[in-house]
Amino acid sequence: MTDTARVLEIKNLHARLTDGREILRGIDLSVASGEVHAIMGPNGSGKSTLAAVLAGRDGYEVSEGTVTYLGRELLAMSADERACEGLFLAFQYPVEIPGVNNMYFLRTAMNAQRRHRGEPELDAGQFLKAVRAQLKLLDIGEDLLQRAVNVGFSGGEKKRNEIFQMAMLEPRLAILDETDSGLDIDALKVVARGVNQQRAPDRVIVMITHYQRLLGYVEPDRVHVLRDGRIVQSGDKSLAVELERRGYGVLGDAA
Amino acid sequence: MNVLVDFPVKPEARPYLEAFGRGAFGRQKREPDWLTGYRKGSLARFAELGFPSRRSESWRYLDLRGLEQTPMLPAGRAGVSAATRAQLAEIGLAEVAHRLVLVDGRFAPELSAIEGLPSGVWLGSMAAAIAERPDLVRSGIETPSLDASRPFAALNAAFFADGFVCDIPPGTALDRPVEILHLSSGETGGSLHTRSLVTVGAGSRVSVVESFIGLGSYWRNDVVELRLAAGAELARVALVEEAAGAVHFGEVLATLGPASRLSGFVLLLGGRTVRHEATVRSEGEGTRCALNGAFLLSGRQEANILTAVDHAAPGGETREMFKGVAAGRAHGAFQGRITVRPGAQKVDAHQLSRNLVLGPRASIDTKPELEIFADDVKCSHGAAVGDLDESAIFYLCARGIPNELARRMLIEAFVLEAIELVELPSLRDRLLSRVVRRLAILEE
Repeated sequence: MTDTARVLEIKNLHARLTDGREILRGIDLSVASGEVHAIMGPNGSGKSTLAAVLAGRDGYEVSEGTVTYLGRELLAMSADERACEGLFLAFQYPVEIPGVNNMYFLRTAMNAQRRHRGEPELDAGQFLKAVRAQLKLLDIGEDLLQRAVNVGFSGGEKKRNEIFQMAMLEPRLAILDETDSGLDIDALKVVARGVNQQRAPDRVIVMITHYQRLLGYVEPDRVHVLRDGRIVQSGDKSLAVELERRGYGVLGDAA
Repeated sequence: MNVLVDFPVKPEARPYLEAFGRGAFGRQKREPDWLTGYRKGSLARFAELGFPSRRSESWRYLDLRGLEQTPMLPAGRAGVSAATRAQLAEIGLAEVAHRLVLVDGRFAPELSAIEGLPSGVWLGSMAAAIAERPDLVRSGIETPSLDASRPFAALNAAFFADGFVCDIPPGTALDRPVEILHLSSGETGGSLHTRSLVTVGAGSRVSVVESFIGLGSYWRNDVVELRLAAGAELARVALVEEAAGAVHFGEVLATLGPASRLSGFVLLLGGRTVRHEATVRSEGEGTRCALNGAFLLSGRQEANILTAVDHAAPGGETREMFKGVAAGRAHGAFQGRITVRPGAQKVDAHQLSRNLVLGPRASIDTKPELEIFADDVKCSHGAAVGDLDESAIFYLCARGIPNELARRMLIEAFVLEAIELVELPSLRDRLLSRVVRRLAILEE
């Protein structure tokens, strides 16, 4: 595999909170174009911290290690620059933003990314056409788009809205942070269908999850187990099944 | 004019007394005696009061030292310049039917369009109303609601040169808003005193939009009285976009008859020192009063919104929502008082003051005040001062939106909640576009 096929290369990543607590203690991860990876682990293992550090959220200090994204130093980029370069984070807890219309928000985001790439902005008509094409897939009513971002959305609506944004923004690297949490089985199926539809040779999907549930619908190429801020075991999809059967307790010293 | 100095005179008031004596402020030469008498009485009141000190509760948040030390005497009027016309074009409503323009505090007929009103409606300058409608304006001007503790209302009474009067007879609805534009040319400097009156007859309905804009350095001291008869509805919107060097004092005095409905909205965007005070007296049963607004400040701007709603009759409703935004070294303040008098049962009042302070050197004070002397009422208030929601900024940035744009979107959304309370959609859009324009330079 050539270097250009490596979309994401994490080496010995250490990160701590501003209060000094070290959460990530040497993560190594390499993801190639077209792959779907799952990162599993018990609560407090550092899963969401990894997602936050990759997306560029404030409040974490990287003390060691490197993250290379498409050959560039990811950690040197601001959050919006990362997004414009094709990184997408589906939030575990999508933020409610009163007063900001969902459509206006999405159009502003798409046009910011298009400007970054030197492409012309979408006018209202072009944007609406693109929106309608994706709505059906995720079973999202148009009324949801007329409301303020995530305000008054049910848990399932919030998660579908995240996957809808992903479909609109067409990222190179999508990180789904606990996208399956809080969903009933029907909503889970809709979200999984959306994710599967996004699988593409030039795209990487990293799913962060506590349970094996989602992986029954979105089949990963690789599964990693995160524990105490390190990846302690990696394997194919059968690892997820084993974890579900035997629990996280049996792991830990395998690495 | 030695006759006036029988009173104790505060030193800072002396230049204004002398200007009055010289008659150097361009008011009508042939005024009725009652008005001249009233002006003299008001001037004596101002001389006695002088400038308010910061110990005075309703003036504690503004720094008036500059104005006190450097008198800004009443100014004359310059001709209508190209710059004034350009300002008019920028701020005027596109679709307005009834427009009255005041330039440097005086009616400018050549810029106005006050014809074509329904029969019985009287819209014109205060100067014309004094001559043609003394029955209407005399009691309005001499109104006792201008109590003794308002020095600048007294100064206004002494010096106002003009203003507007809008009289809607009973049973009349105006479909399109009445637009009042207060322009200042920047060529005359000094102070501009305008005095206006809106009377809405029983069961009538009207919207009045007042915009204040100008060039240069000046002091605008505006007083408007609103009188609503039984069942009348008045929506009054004030857009304050004064020049960066200007001082703006706006005083609104409203009297509400039974089952009348007032909705006031104020948007403060421009001016060095801006003060807006609305005093509402609910005199009849079942009134509805909505006072809403916002200020957006940056640099070294100061703004103060004060409201005082006095429920003297039962069954009234008050709703207030004010949004404040301060960046740079700006300072904003909101003071809201709601009084429920003994016997004014079943009053339902709610006040909300929410504020955003952007950066370590900006500040906002908020001071709700409920005075309740009746036992069967529903009154509540909420006040908050905070920063932008960091998790919301990150959410927007995580979708590719640059940080500054994300902040602007959130500030806009914050202010939008108040603007959405303006009922006319075209006006809402207009106000929002002025906010967006202001936001583009807020955090520079």
